[in-house]
Amino acid sequence: MGITIACFGLSYLTALGLELARQTRPVRSLRIAGLVFGTAGLIAHTIFLIYQQPNPATAFGSLVLLAWVLAVFYLYGAVHHRTQAWALFVLPVVVLLVGLSFIFQGGSETIGDWFSADNFWGSVHGILVLAASVGITVGFLASLMYLVQARRLRMKRSPLGGLRLLSLERLETMNRRAINLAFPMLTVGLLLGFMRVPSTSDPSVGWTAAKVLGTLGLWVVALVLLYLRYGAQVPPRRLALLTIAAFGLMLVTLVTAHPFAMAEGTR
Amino acid sequence: MNLVAVGISFRSASVDLREKIAFTEPRRDQASGDLASRYGCEAAVLSTCNRVELYLARPGGESLPDVNLLAEFLGEYHGVLPADMRPHLIERRGADGVRHLFRVAASLDSLIVGEGQIAGQVKTTFEAARAVGSCGPFLNALYQHAQKTAKRVRTETGISKGHVSVSSVAVDYVRQVFDHFGDKTILVIGAGKMGRLTLKHLQELKPKRILVTNRSPEKAQDVAAECGGVAVPWESLDDALIQADIVLSTTGAPEQVVSEKRYAPVRGKRSGRTAVILDIAVPRDFDPAIHDGETTFVFNIDDLKGIREQTLARRRTHIERAEAIVDDECKRFLDDWGRRKNGQLIARLTQEFEAKRREVIEPLLGRLNGKLTEKERQEIEGAFRLYQNKLLHGPIAALGEASRDGNGPALLEAVRRLFRLE
Repeated sequence: MGITIACFGLSYLTALGLELARQTRPVRSLRIAGLVFGTAGLIAHTIFLIYQQPNPATAFGSLVLLAWVLAVFYLYGAVHHRTQAWALFVLPVVVLLVGLSFIFQGGSETIGDWFSADNFWGSVHGILVLAASVGITVGFLASLMYLVQARRLRMKRSPLGGLRLLSLERLETMNRRAINLAFPMLTVGLLLGFMRVPSTSDPSVGWTAAKVLGTLGLWVVALVLLYLRYGAQVPPRRLALLTIAAFGLMLVTLVTAHPFAMAEGTR
Repeated sequence: MNLVAVGISFRSASVDLREKIAFTEPRRDQASGDLASRYGCEAAVLSTCNRVELYLARPGGESLPDVNLLAEFLGEYHGVLPADMRPHLIERRGADGVRHLFRVAASLDSLIVGEGQIAGQVKTTFEAARAVGSCGPFLNALYQHAQKTAKRVRTETGISKGHVSVSSVAVDYVRQVFDHFGDKTILVIGAGKMGRLTLKHLQELKPKRILVTNRSPEKAQDVAAECGGVAVPWESLDDALIQADIVLSTTGAPEQVVSEKRYAPVRGKRSGRTAVILDIAVPRDFDPAIHDGETTFVFNIDDLKGIREQTLARRRTHIERAEAIVDDECKRFLDDWGRRKNGQLIARLTQEFEAKRREVIEPLLGRLNGKLTEKERQEIEGAFRLYQNKLLHGPIAALGEASRDGNGPALLEAVRRLFRLE
């Protein structure tokens, strides 16, 4: 299998370049070319994942898997919201995640026994935390678009000018649903992770590992977000800013080594 | 192709003259028929509030009436002295006329560049001319190509994007904030004319309910009855503001109706819900300080007019690209028409050359029968065919070029005589 990260990373980057060009010259051919490159990237990305089976417990694995889910999200939005600047927001995040996964490519652990029957709960933990990451990333994208759209309306700019985006209400709903879905998954995923900590005898697998603390911090931020929305009825703009902070924390957490993976490596 | 377009528009004549020579629909159709029968040509009359134009064509190449004759025709129809009209009439012939119609249909010659109405008016004009029998093969092909050009300009440039009426811009703003309207309440304050127009646009969003308030309860009842809303007393304005998601304010009050101080408690009771306030009253009904850009967005008449100007300026940036499309389509049309018109003559010319070639080659091949291999025979035939094609290339290319330059009829006649194709 000759597909490397560079193959799909460059495809996504080209699709992003074409989307940028479409902002200055909105012709159909540029849109189609962008979609072709985006689709080619996604196909290459999918084949890469099937053959490489990266370990989601590693920084590389979690980033490359998250990038794949977002690439699907990008294509869905690019097809359904063709007049909106959807790709301009999603593709940079996809490219960023692919770029980060390239940097953290060193560890080449495959899924191996992480997804075996023996490690069923470990797999569930991984899938839930990854799904929560997808939710937080979608919330981040919706928040980013919300802030741009809100700024445009605050400045009373032309609805035609700049980037064309979904309505504030729609973006706010997208953010709300993403966080509402991410929180329970993060909670259960985190609980499963905690339950596994005492079962390992390795001293490096502790409660104070950066990944554990980061994920715990992310859970607290998600909880605060829910409280501010439903308990304190904080305006959506502030919630959007906090969601962006949550995404930043999530990225930091994703790139730190997983304690179980570390333990696995030292054995 | 022989085409003439003569007329006036907002660029060349004041509204006084334009309204004098405007055609009603029945008169327009009658004029198309009269022009066609009087001058023995194809004819169509385009009449809108911004322009009156006569399109006359003769596919053959015989000359068409000049601008003075057409001024007399218009004068007869409307009782206006031709001399009064003459300085304002613009005449475009041949390829210029084609280009002019394409620009008109693409809304490049409109008062508001990119407006969508004109394409429909051009369509109605030529369809009406077809119905009265004054629109023949040339004008028919011309009109269809004009429609195609207008569509290309509309879809390949941003020239028709955005709204330019204040009420439409107001609705655009509302759509930027809200996604669905089935759960939204609209509050209408006052009963101004502009307000009613904007309300019509807002009604199309199908809101959950419409509340109407006015200092005069009767007026509130009237507006509520018109839009299927509920009238609320003027004294309950603050309560209505708490309930409303979209406020349309259009009172004629000489002083501010809602100050920031008055709105602050309203905002507090709205539980962070977003409100869009369209204040199109002059003087303004709402204190501009109410606009916080977070949960409350206030757009006044100047903001909406500002957007209209921005939209127009944005449209103007697409003119260059649109003109290039018009030029491209103009060339295509002239080429297509030239090919279509020259087609018969070229076919006859080719047949003539074909017959002559056979006359020469068949006896030759007969004499050489048995002395040539099959391959040599094919080579000789191929060489003669190539020679024939090379001879024909010059006249065929020249006919195409002449059609584009407007010299087609003369060259067609010359080719007919030179090659004795009568």
